[in-house]
Amino acid sequence: MSSSTRRDLNRRLKGWPGWILLIFVVVGFLVVGATRDTGPRTPDERIESISKRLACPVCQGESVYESRNTASNQIREGIRQGVNEGNLSDEQIIQQISVAYEGEELLVPTGSGVEALAWALPATAFVLGTAGLAFAFRRWQRAARMLGVATPEDYELVARALADESLDKTIDVSVDLAVDTSTEEPRLGTPDRS
Amino acid sequence: MIAASFNGALGHFGLLLMLTASFVGALSTGLAIVVGNRKGIRQAAVYAWLILAGALISVIAMQRALETRDYSLAYIQQVGSSTTPGIYNVAAMWSALEGSILLWVLVLAAFTAAVAWRFRKRADDPLVAWAMVVMFVVCAFFALVSFGPASPFQAGPTVPIGFDGRGPNPLLQNHILVLFHPPILYLGYVGFTVPFAFAIAALITGRVGEGWLLETRRWALFSWGFLTIGILLGGWWSYEVLGWSGVWAWDPVENASLLPWLTGTAYIHSVLVQQRRGMLRVWNLSLLVATFALTILGTFLTRSGIINSVHAFSAGQIDGYLLGFFGLVVVVSLGLIAWRGDRLRSPGIMDSPLSREGAFLANNVVFTVFAFIVLLGTVFPLIVEALQDRRTVVGAPYFDRLSMPIGLSLLFLMAVAPVLPWRKASQELLRQRLFWPAWCGAGALIVAVLVGADGWAPLIAFALAGFAAGAALRQIALATRRQGLWGLFGRANGGMVVHLGVILVAVALVASNAYTESTELRLTVGEPVEWSGHTFELVEVVGERDARTDVTRANVRLDGDRIYGPAFTTYLQMGQPIPTPSVRTGLTHDVYLTIAGTNAPVVGSNQAVLEVFRKPLILWLWIGGLMMAVGTVLSAFPGRRRRDPLDPVSARIPEPRKRITEPAVSDV
Repeated sequence: MSSSTRRDLNRRLKGWPGWILLIFVVVGFLVVGATRDTGPRTPDERIESISKRLACPVCQGESVYESRNTASNQIREGIRQGVNEGNLSDEQIIQQISVAYEGEELLVPTGSGVEALAWALPATAFVLGTAGLAFAFRRWQRAARMLGVATPEDYELVARALADESLDKTIDVSVDLAVDTSTEEPRLGTPDRS
Repeated sequence: MIAASFNGALGHFGLLLMLTASFVGALSTGLAIVVGNRKGIRQAAVYAWLILAGALISVIAMQRALETRDYSLAYIQQVGSSTTPGIYNVAAMWSALEGSILLWVLVLAAFTAAVAWRFRKRADDPLVAWAMVVMFVVCAFFALVSFGPASPFQAGPTVPIGFDGRGPNPLLQNHILVLFHPPILYLGYVGFTVPFAFAIAALITGRVGEGWLLETRRWALFSWGFLTIGILLGGWWSYEVLGWSGVWAWDPVENASLLPWLTGTAYIHSVLVQQRRGMLRVWNLSLLVATFALTILGTFLTRSGIINSVHAFSAGQIDGYLLGFFGLVVVVSLGLIAWRGDRLRSPGIMDSPLSREGAFLANNVVFTVFAFIVLLGTVFPLIVEALQDRRTVVGAPYFDRLSMPIGLSLLFLMAVAPVLPWRKASQELLRQRLFWPAWCGAGALIVAVLVGADGWAPLIAFALAGFAAGAALRQIALATRRQGLWGLFGRANGGMVVHLGVILVAVALVASNAYTESTELRLTVGEPVEWSGHTFELVEVVGERDARTDVTRANVRLDGDRIYGPAFTTYLQMGQPIPTPSVRTGLTHDVYLTIAGTNAPVVGSNQAVLEVFRKPLILWLWIGGLMMAVGTVLSAFPGRRRRDPLDPVSARIPEPRKRITEPAVSDV
């Protein structure tokens, strides 16, 4: 296959049909893969999942799942009993343990009261960040429109500047469109340009 | 503060030397800059070497005290023991608060001397001189803390003849990584002091262009690299030692190391926009200040005892100092940025969000929000306690839930950003450049589904990881086709190697979080048990005892082949038994064995209860970390087609008023 034929084939593959096929493949496999997920399947997986949601009552910020101490082992055993009973939901098991341990704590803040801040503040930060970015780009685009289209004179200036640089190792220090001269600085250890 | 021994006197002398040299160095260099005394400015290097000498003397004194078990010092009483093996005895220096500050002091002093040496030919440049002043001020602060409230050389109470200490915490003498993880992490933390110092110097001198960025690019890059490796080594250590088979628990101390990493990562991306386009000056300065300030805040959070953590040191000795210094750093930095506001105004504009710089900005927003979430989750218990006077815990499920969409966003940006040109991209160009990377993503998804992966989030993560890997490989392929092996060097191409490492880390984390299986196995000698495709057979339960430890080991034959020995180790001086897991590492998954419960099985018994984990793809986490380290080194060296980064990217107006010969290109 000649290189031009290969290039042509490559270009055709990258057209819209190739992308549409890609989208079908991705969506199809995602749906197949994701819908067969049924959550924790074995009792061990349920025990693990519940123990990750509970704080060890005597540790320094560890979960029951991570902690290896006696209190956490007892709670794990309580979870195991709850799971083995077979008719309790995860929430009911957690509730049972919470009562048994008088104030057992969840590792996830609730969605009410002060604890709702733990969810609301990140969402607010994300919205503010995205909005700030959108605002900045809008402002830049407005500024770009005000600059207008480059004129033949502009192109000539660029060409002359580039030719100037390639002919000798001198630099123009008068005015620079890209760099505000009021903030221009000398390289370290080199004579001041002003 | 009377030295109780030669080691104590020597250590105090070293710290005093450092403290004095730092104070005098900061004052005299600052004064010399103000009055224009070039000879005085050049003296900064002398102070830097004195600071290093002081720190070295103190560390040698501490190591000598540990080696000779000098129990006249309170710190040695706390962490020294005649039974601690040599290598762990060296590491005992940073096993408690005072010694960890001493390690910080040593690394900081080494960086200060390195800066003085690196910029020795430009010592009288005001930018360098002010940077040295800032380094001296930071040195003075840490020397003061180490000499005063957190002195490891304070005399201890008199001990009886024959006294022997308890040694370091058992978890700090249980794995060789204790020798490497803290020092490497500190190289990362402290290394960011250098770009921070130059940023402050740039603000003071008003030279807020791109010069200081270029001078500190490698310093920032290597600091970031060390921080990355330090964090990953911490994960490895946790995996090998703690017995719960995890690498990351969102513990406050772990979060404290992640915070500067997140802002540092945002910085090393957005700084490229400033180098290329002269934009984002305030933003880059803010990120750098945030990175440095977060190292101090993290140190405060973890060393003040106000937050519960398995890593936290003893409470309350230096919290006021650290909080005060954090406040000083923030106030001074923000004040300087406000003062130089007019000069920091960016001269350029961004043409389109669909551009390399647009992608970097989006990356920065995501990283910043991520850092905010980690900080919020870490300090949230304090907020609740302050408002409602009740205890609460914010743990892994909270961070996992919020970090998942952020991780997916970052993978998507990693896929798209490398193919984007600067300034503006057309739809057609994106369609062409992203096609094969996107099919790589589809391929990754297909493979994942075929091998049995399920769940929306993990599958999307695998697809995006494949997409990002395709984009990075495309860049590397193009660069190496053009330049041969040189195509692997330079910030763009080395950066792609780092991206590949990050992708491996992400895939390994997703797979191990989503698909780890675990169970409790009751094993009896001679009765093999099958679980998850493996056979476990208890061979024996043995005891091993020496002067330091009492070990009960359950030897288990795995798949009829090698024997693995999870154990319970009791450190006799401490009396605290800790589980010591045993791991069979493989390319597809690890088998992680640990003794269940809190009691060791009886030696000689024919039964043992094990907790067994099947952890997929964990090995690739460490391989990814190695690739990130290699990529960092590659990006520190210039590629063959390196352009002068100070060249303007747009035209100059050709009406020269005067010309000067261009100075020689900086050797940095």
